[in-house]
Amino acid sequence: MIVNKTNYKIANAHLTSRLKQTLVAILSVTFGISMYIFMNSFMTGVNDTQTGLAFSTLAHIRIYNDIPQDNTNLFADHIDENILVNIRNPKVIQYTEGIKNSEKILNLLDSVPEISGITPQLNINVFFRNGATKVNGMLSGIDVVNEDQLFGTAQYVVEGDWMDLNRRSDGILLGSGLAKKLSLHLNDNVVLTTEDGITKNYKVIGIVETTLASVDNSRAYIRIGFARQLISKNMGYVTDIQVNVKDYDRAVSIAQRIGKITPYKVEPWQEANGQLEAANKLRNIIAVAVSLTILIVAGFGIYNIMNMTVNEKIREIAILKAMGFDGKDIIQIFLTQSVIIGILGGVVGIILGYLVSVLVNHIPFKIASLETLPITYRTKDYIMAFVFGLITTFIAGYLPAKKASQVDPVEIIRG
Amino acid sequence: MENLALSVKNLNKYFHEPQTFHVLKDISFDIKKGEFLALTGKSGSGKSTLLYILSTMDTTYEGSLTINGLTLTGKAQNELAAFRNEHIGFVFQFHYLLPEFSALDNVMLPALKLEKKSSEEIEESAMGNLKLLGLEDQALKPANKLSGGQQQRVAIARALINEPTIIMGDEPTGNLDSKNTQIVFDIFRELAKERGQTIIAVTHDDDFAANCDRTLELMDGKLIHQ
Ligand SMILES: Nc1ncnc2c1ncn2[C@@H]1O[C@H](COP(=O)(O)OP(=O)(O)OP(=O)(O)O)[C@@H](O)[C@H]1O
Ligand SMILES: [Mg+2]
Repeated sequence: MIVNKTNYKIANAHLTSRLKQTLVAILSVTFGISMYIFMNSFMTGVNDTQTGLAFSTLAHIRIYNDIPQDNTNLFADHIDENILVNIRNPKVIQYTEGIKNSEKILNLLDSVPEISGITPQLNINVFFRNGATKVNGMLSGIDVVNEDQLFGTAQYVVEGDWMDLNRRSDGILLGSGLAKKLSLHLNDNVVLTTEDGITKNYKVIGIVETTLASVDNSRAYIRIGFARQLISKNMGYVTDIQVNVKDYDRAVSIAQRIGKITPYKVEPWQEANGQLEAANKLRNIIAVAVSLTILIVAGFGIYNIMNMTVNEKIREIAILKAMGFDGKDIIQIFLTQSVIIGILGGVVGIILGYLVSVLVNHIPFKIASLETLPITYRTKDYIMAFVFGLITTFIAGYLPAKKASQVDPVEIIRG
Repeated sequence: MENLALSVKNLNKYFHEPQTFHVLKDISFDIKKGEFLALTGKSGSGKSTLLYILSTMDTTYEGSLTINGLTLTGKAQNELAAFRNEHIGFVFQFHYLLPEFSALDNVMLPALKLEKKSSEEIEESAMGNLKLLGLEDQALKPANKLSGGQQQRVAIARALINEPTIIMGDEPTGNLDSKNTQIVFDIFRELAKERGQTIIAVTHDDDFAANCDRTLELMDGKLIHQ
């Protein structure tokens, strides 16, 4: 829209002659846009914290041997379905557990560009014993460097040193809750028994506290090589391969592609933790719904004020029309006013939205791993807020402007 | 009919609210270029109604209106607006100015809209018009701070700015003292004679009417004298 200089001059005169109303209109846009920015930054902040927390133990994609499958009809696919088959009490006699040749898959994964990190794991159910206390838990044989790269586990080590796992073959890191249940401290000894009855003695070289109960109360870490030794497995044997991708929202499609080239189960996080994704989506919907509502309310504010302006200036509209200004000029004059209001309100709203976000980001909130309320600053939110704000003011301003353009000058001038 | 400024044929106008009322009854007349014409008649006889139709602002009538050889009946609103801007200067019965603009800005607006001259030229001729009407010292005052008579003179200055073919005034001197009425009369007379502009002025002032080239008189919506 190229605004004619004269029309702009008239629009400007209207705006400045009712400064108070103009200011109120600008403020309503400012409020709408800043709330839009704040709501979205806050919800994204919460989502990021939530997924960040979840991804401290959960990888974006997990590859494992999903066995045994449905073996109730062993003849399926082998025998014509017209032949009656009766199987009683079927038993699987032998199946392969875990992933035997992880090297092959790891090499394969290395060539996928979307992947940002890979770590193999050997997870075993074990009993931890200290004297008479016996606790059921999970022993994770892990690759010390890659595990930390994926999950940042080292930062949760509250006592001892994560890297010591690489140095001591009898070293074990315990979850803080698990250590407490077993009354264990740093450098104490703990006895471990596998399902197959193998027992081994370990030295506690570190305590991990993630604030996630599932980890803290039942997990222990040793180096993956030593875990293989414990259950007498070959090099290359793992139970899980954990994979992180660059954009975790794309985990599903990447998992699908990897699934086509491996015989194992490739499970994206959304499948394993549906509730996490659902919560994220719901929060996004709330943020969008609330912020759009606020913008629409702001739009009604502008609509109202512009309508009032049109009613107030109806005699002047009639004069302008009598002098030869046409419908398009009148629309321009009033639309220019709302667009100016939209732009001014938008700019101030962006600044205010940022300030409110910063302020909220400083409110203490010491729960789980949080220190303050979370905010994620994204340029996208600011651009969207401005664009939505402009669209709202444009629509809200267009209707009164249209009405103004249809004023019949004779009717007004006749009095 | 080369030198006809305006021509009206079989003009009829009705109001439908509150009940159907036949305001203008089968009016036909021609006005030549450069004619200075008075439109008279009792209050309520339909003078303003006729003038709004002549000014192209009111399009709900029967019959036909031709100005400068161009038939305007049935033309689109936007076309009529552009035509008004260039060819018609209008002084309302009640002086209507834009209150947030100065007297000078008010006078300049129709010319700024027309965009035929630079704003410096427009300002110069607007100043000239204000001077003509004895308002040069009021030029920069906001319009709503002027007296009624001053406002009416600003409105006249505004009607002249685009040098329109026809200047229409609905009691353009209604608020003026005899001295200023005389000034306005002389200006109109001069414009008609020197520049060939056509003037149609509604008036209740018998002297004013008597000094015009011609008088149209309405009575109950009928043209009884032309
Ligand atoms: N919008 C309208 N609806 C109905 N009747 C109207 C309307 N406007 C004017 N009239 C009527 O039409 C008639 C002519 O009105 P008009 O304003 O043209 O009179 P006028 O000759 O200009 O009078 P005055 O000298 O008092 O200004 C009057 O009887 C008036 O009551
Ligand atoms: Mg009248």
